Amino acid sequence: MNSETSRDSHANDQQQISQTLEEALAAHHDDESVVDVDEPTQQLVLFRINGQRFALPGSAVSEILPSDQPVYYVPGLPASTEGVLHLRGKIESVINLQPLLDLPTPEGTPSGMILLVSASGIRSGVRIEQLDDVCEVAQSLLQPPPETLSSTLLPYVSALWQIDERQALALLDPEALFSAYQQGLG
Amino acid sequence: MPTSKGWVKVPLEREHHEQAQVTLVLFWVGPYRAAMEACHVLAMTDHPTALRTANAHSLLYDESSDQPQPSRWLTLRDTQTAKGQTASTWQLGVDGDISLQQLPASTLYPLPKLLQSRLFSPALCGFTFEQQQLVLLLDAGKLSLHKPYSTSPSPPAISS
Repeated sequence: MNSETSRDSHANDQQQISQTLEEALAAHHDDESVVDVDEPTQQLVLFRINGQRFALPGSAVSEILPSDQPVYYVPGLPASTEGVLHLRGKIESVINLQPLLDLPTPEGTPSGMILLVSASGIRSGVRIEQLDDVCEVAQSLLQPPPETLSSTLLPYVSALWQIDERQALALLDPEALFSAYQQGLG
Repeated sequence: MPTSKGWVKVPLEREHHEQAQVTLVLFWVGPYRAAMEACHVLAMTDHPTALRTANAHSLLYDESSDQPQPSRWLTLRDTQTAKGQTASTWQLGVDGDISLQQLPASTLYPLPKLLQSRLFSPALCGFTFEQQQLVLLLDAGKLSLHKPYSTSPSPPAISS
């Protein structure tokens, strides 16, 4: 090893150390990026229905089924019921939330994934349009739903997450959704 | 069950469940396959012969007047007969391709809880599959209680 190579190698090492320190120091100045590990968080499954952003508690979603999961139509049920699916020796219902949330029901063959949701001792598939993410969110970011929220949505929203100035996401209450469905709504 | 160490006790309930078979009469109701326990079906005819008849369409899902004529009639015991009266029968109009099948109990699935309060017909009690097609399982007792029968003014001649 000649002296020039050794000097280059030393310089590279210094550069790497310098970058690491820079990042470390920068992190100390950026208070917002510091995560309080003790702060309680909630897992959310983020998705869209008719382009609108919603979430369900991760604790209520036991499985995410692919869009090509066969769903069998059952006659004599309301339009909000897509049918039933056969999953590992059990039959689960599949419902659409559009009628409950006062959103237009899309025409044609449903193409989104199905969330298997459990609440109040009931389990059912819920058809969504698009799955966005499954993430942990600090509880402090979840605010009570404002009174200005649409009266149609209000009974089914347990919290609102203001993602940024432009985007907010409604955390749905699965118990309220199932209860309303059973009472003949939607 | 004998083993090298002697007999192993097998839970009777599980053994029974694994071996249990249910005999069903399968039929069509329009485009849907349906079935009910064979013990409720007393007879099958091509024409209605009973005083009281009902089209399976109207009992299960379709109240519209534009219903196809049933091609077969299943004679069922009337569960609405009052105490002290002689048990009478009524007939359910269904569509063709009626078959008698024994299916393992383990392949008969109960109705999902969420749907129970939203059914058009309380007779729908579960599902099974026949060649990957959904079959609606019907409770014959609740089927007859669901709607009043149509009463024929003069029953047609009995046919077998």
